[in-house]
Amino acid sequence: MTTTTLYLERTSALHRLNPVTKLVALLSIILAVFAVPHWWIPIGIVVVVIVPAAVLGRVGGRLLRLFLILLLPLLVVLFIIQGLFYPDGSTVLWEWGLAQLTTEGLLFALTIGSRLTALVLGSLVFVLTTDPARLMSALTQVGMSPKIAYVISASLQIIPAFQARAQSILLAQQARGLAIVGSPLKRARALLPLLGPLILGMITDVDERSTAMEARAFGATPKPTSLIVVPDPLGERIARWVLFLSAIAVVVLVVVGVIA
Amino acid sequence: MTDPSAPMIELEGVGFAYEDAERFTLANLDLRIDAGTVTGIVGASGAGKTTLAKTIAGFIPLNEGGTYRGTARVAGRVLAEGTLSEAAAAVGLVTQNPFNQISGARFTVREELAFGLENRSVPRDEMERRVAEVAARLRLEPLLDRSPYALSGGQMQLVAIASMVVMAPPVLVMDEPTSQLDPAGTRLVYDVLSTLSDGGTTVVIIEHKTELLHEHCDSIAVLAGGLIVQHGAPGAVLADDRLTTWGVGETRVTTAARLARERGLLPVERALPIGVDDAVDAFSALKGAAS
Repeated sequence: MTTTTLYLERTSALHRLNPVTKLVALLSIILAVFAVPHWWIPIGIVVVVIVPAAVLGRVGGRLLRLFLILLLPLLVVLFIIQGLFYPDGSTVLWEWGLAQLTTEGLLFALTIGSRLTALVLGSLVFVLTTDPARLMSALTQVGMSPKIAYVISASLQIIPAFQARAQSILLAQQARGLAIVGSPLKRARALLPLLGPLILGMITDVDERSTAMEARAFGATPKPTSLIVVPDPLGERIARWVLFLSAIAVVVLVVVGVIA
Repeated sequence: MTDPSAPMIELEGVGFAYEDAERFTLANLDLRIDAGTVTGIVGASGAGKTTLAKTIAGFIPLNEGGTYRGTARVAGRVLAEGTLSEAAAAVGLVTQNPFNQISGARFTVREELAFGLENRSVPRDEMERRVAEVAARLRLEPLLDRSPYALSGGQMQLVAIASMVVMAPPVLVMDEPTSQLDPAGTRLVYDVLSTLSDGGTTVVIIEHKTELLHEHCDSIAVLAGGLIVQHGAPGAVLADDRLTTWGVGETRVTTAARLARERGLLPVERALPIGVDDAVDAFSALKGAAS
């Protein structure tokens, strides 16, 4: 299956889970790591929950590669900036000119960095193990409006739609002498004529697309059926509530000062 | 109650001008199409064929701004008096550009084919059966798990056609459905249309390939100057001397026969053949006369 998302088709328990359960788990994790002001909570969740989940879902290798490409450079920059230039830092460990490495700066970078790591890695495990078609069906099954589901799905599909159209415009322009060679700057400049027809074409397509959608009865009924039916066992429904209530409980404990 | 002898599609004095247009694209047009027939619509580029297709399907005037007059009925109902959803249930419209017929919200061809059925709340078992049946008919099985956007133009066009055929509307209007198809794909589509017509579906097809229309249609209507200027049996319409003046190409068999006649190979008094069978008859007659 060719999709635009990062989804990896595998056979695993994580893949079989109802996508809504995974989504609720992800949102609960995000809520908890941002509510609790301790860096070791997000790190603990990454080590105890997210990494084992990635291994269980047989997407550990891809997660590691994405971590190295997407997140690691960001974390390095974060530690350099916050570690060396944190404005409220008083415990100086090392200094060179204006740059001061402070304990407070490092702690701040650790807090932000650990939250970011949990957020990004958790989201990546979700995306890597969740078939977007199953996700949309599962969300519709639990009551999301088919129109909102359409908008989300169409957004996920807009990249291949753009690619397909851009490819045909590019070929047509190359056939008429457009040269896409030379330095990156020259190539980028040569691609500028692509933008006009690409964007205008997508806009003018809207009318015909809307006609086609009407012809295919889109919106004809508030309760459409679904070709894909995602199992939603009682155990998962209970687990979702437990996760959700746990996350709320953590937030409440933080607000009332029990967790400080 | 619907009169059983009444035509399935009936346009009376239908005119339509797009917003800000200087002239009417359709001008007091009359057209009657019987149930369960296959009708070809031909005409020059810009003659208004797509506008006519949208009018039959009810999208004009329900979804298109402009000046509309006259009455268009499908199965005795004036579509303009109902909703777009009701019109879409009565008439399936396959638009010209398959890229835009694709929902853009489904991840595989299988889901794409089921999209319209889901919107009509068709039960899942029936949906699976109908998707499998249409996929088999149009030989789409190898594509079922692929992304609709990973298809070639021809494959996408077949999927667009299949996505409407699967909904089994009583009337199917197709706007140049084979423009991107190879001969085998074109043959498949026409075979499916013939089967649908045998099953009672009324098919209206806008097509430039007059050979195909001659072979598969029960009647052909010629659109020129916003009017239906000729409508009748394919043989009679395609033999009309005015055909090229209306911007409609004659069949290649006719062109070949005309050249043969100019070179003295065919007698002037003999009517020019239109289809392959006519040409074989003409050659047989010549051979008979020679011996």
